[in-house]
Amino acid sequence: MADAPIVNAQTIPTARRAAKRTFMARLLIAVTVLFLTAFVVLPILNVFSEALSNGVGAYVSTFYAPALNPDAKPTMYERMKLSAERDRVERTWSSIRLSCIVAAIVVPLNILFGLAAAWAITKFRFKGRVLLVSLIDLPFSISPVIAGLIFVLLFGRGGIFGTWATNLQWPDPTSLTWQGFAGHWWPLAFARTYEGIIFTPLAIVLATIFVTFPFVARSLIPLMDVQGTEEELAALSLGASGWRTFRTVTLANIKWGLLYGAILCTARTFGEFGAVSVVSGHIDINDTMPLRIEKLWDDYDMQAAFSVATLLAGLAILTLVIQSIVEWKTNRTQAAESRELEVKSDEHRSAEDQQILRLLPGAQGREP
Amino acid sequence: MRRISKFYGSSQALKDVSLKVESGELVALLGPSGSGKTTLLRIIAGIEDADPGSGKVLFDDIDVSSTEVGKRRIGFVFQHYALFKQMSVFENIAFGLRSKPRRERPSNAAIRAKVEELLTLVQLQNFARRYPNQLSGGQRQRVALARALAVEPQVLLLDEPFGALDATVRRELRRWLRKLHDTIKVTTIFVTHDQEEALEVADRIAVMNAGKIEQFASPEEVYERPANPFVFRFLGNYNLFHARHDGGPHRHDEPENATPVTFVRPHDVEILRENPDGSAIAAKVTHIGFAGAAVNVELLRHDDQQPIDAELTNQAYRDLGLKQDDEVFIRLRNSHSFYEDYAI
Repeated sequence: MADAPIVNAQTIPTARRAAKRTFMARLLIAVTVLFLTAFVVLPILNVFSEALSNGVGAYVSTFYAPALNPDAKPTMYERMKLSAERDRVERTWSSIRLSCIVAAIVVPLNILFGLAAAWAITKFRFKGRVLLVSLIDLPFSISPVIAGLIFVLLFGRGGIFGTWATNLQWPDPTSLTWQGFAGHWWPLAFARTYEGIIFTPLAIVLATIFVTFPFVARSLIPLMDVQGTEEELAALSLGASGWRTFRTVTLANIKWGLLYGAILCTARTFGEFGAVSVVSGHIDINDTMPLRIEKLWDDYDMQAAFSVATLLAGLAILTLVIQSIVEWKTNRTQAAESRELEVKSDEHRSAEDQQILRLLPGAQGREP
Repeated sequence: MRRISKFYGSSQALKDVSLKVESGELVALLGPSGSGKTTLLRIIAGIEDADPGSGKVLFDDIDVSSTEVGKRRIGFVFQHYALFKQMSVFENIAFGLRSKPRRERPSNAAIRAKVEELLTLVQLQNFARRYPNQLSGGQRQRVALARALAVEPQVLLLDEPFGALDATVRRELRRWLRKLHDTIKVTTIFVTHDQEEALEVADRIAVMNAGKIEQFASPEEVYERPANPFVFRFLGNYNLFHARHDGGPHRHDEPENATPVTFVRPHDVEILRENPDGSAIAAKVTHIGFAGAAVNVELLRHDDQQPIDAELTNQAYRDLGLKQDDEVFIRLRNSHSFYEDYAI
């Protein structure tokens, strides 16, 4: 009978949990599940089913044009059709490339910015701190279309920056080519330059930065707020340099929060439509994946539109998975920390209370 | 000899404080919340700066005021330990050694030996591989201490080292700290708001109030010969008489800004059944509180209806056979009179 109490101890929580699951709880769970199924799961499944509605071959042909059969003598019509097909595939790939390039620029920048902002806000006390916090949140409350419009008004013709912005020449970094040493001291050159900012990929990058910059800062601020500055001070007092302190103490403490923010930021970067749509000027080379999907849809190419959409949906699902892992990790550390903090402050308070009681004139009975 | 002196201009937290600590001494900064004791400690550590142009912090007569915190050779222990959560106990203690510039950094073997030595010193030999969240509060505090000692600091600074611990652990740990200090003899300054802790552990106590040091002396002196009413009030319980204890009831003819006040510790209040020479004060027992080794008796003076607290030993209490509402006489054994120049 020695292990009887242990058995009891294990069954009690389960029993309690079961007892709590009343009719109301069941109803709420059912409503939530139904709602999520109808509005999230079914549409996503629909994306995949539509994409594959004409078979796997059609799905693949969205991304790969049929190879040219050297023996066949295609008719004029067939040749035109093939060329149109190739063009369509190439534009799809160009949108995927642009989306990836934008993400590769935007996400690191926003990680840096988010770190700097969260650091400034949580580790220092200064005037305008609260204002800064609400400014960081601003992109969340502004419609992305308005955000795009802001950039058009800034950099567009007759915008605030005027002719400087419209005449600005800048090389396309992706067009870097090898031109050899013949006649040049520098063997690399840009094959393409852009003129102006608005309606170029630069505008897309700027608009995306604007829309996505709160994510990293937002996920770091509460975390760093809880952690305070004591560990950093401890590291500094032990003679660690600022960089070493940041690397071994700060970064180690916030890595999960940072990853979480970066994932949300990446997901939004790929998915952003409104702001990018306004600043892209509907030029084909400025298409990111969501813009490409819109164009395919407008061409009544539903199947292809859904096929590209599967990439975004897949990315979303992947994000969701990583996000839940990371969230679980951060919650665990955060919960542990706040629990610790609570205990600390309780203990501290009771010590202070005793102190106050002792200070009362004639207070007695607490000290032997 | 090592000297630390600090002079500050009148900032809000500290008002021209200066303090000289002898080498190898264990000094307590004692004061209520907001008395500036933590600020003072942080300025010594270099975590906070004194007002520009105000004062200096000297270690061994060398001005370190403008030396940054990492180069001052101090060991700082935070109230909430501030251990590195992501690192094991071993790595926590080794952090300071691993942070040294490459030329001064000891070899891995030397670091290992040093950490083992410190773990033995703080009696945590078997905890090297644990993480801070797997340790109790007292263990964490000892790790924090070992981590601070690893860099062989000139001065060890402890900010409310036992503030976050429960009473028994706190008592145990402060005795241990005293013993540790006797072994390693490093100059130590610790901040506390617990007078018992300061009295028990420190060689000398600096009692602080409102940004000033009220008294800086040995525990005996601070307790037995408090420099002013604040020190008396802060160090333990007291009775207050707004007149000389031999002068009878409150005298209203004294000038307002120079009312003499008399402080008496409850254990210096003697309770008598008789009034042999007529000098004792008549009072009535209003409450008896049993507190283990001591018995707290609350009395009410008959002449001016002032409450008085007395603390008797268990033995004296039994000899007297006191009961509630008994009529008794009291005599003050050891009293301190001050001219109070501020309102209570």
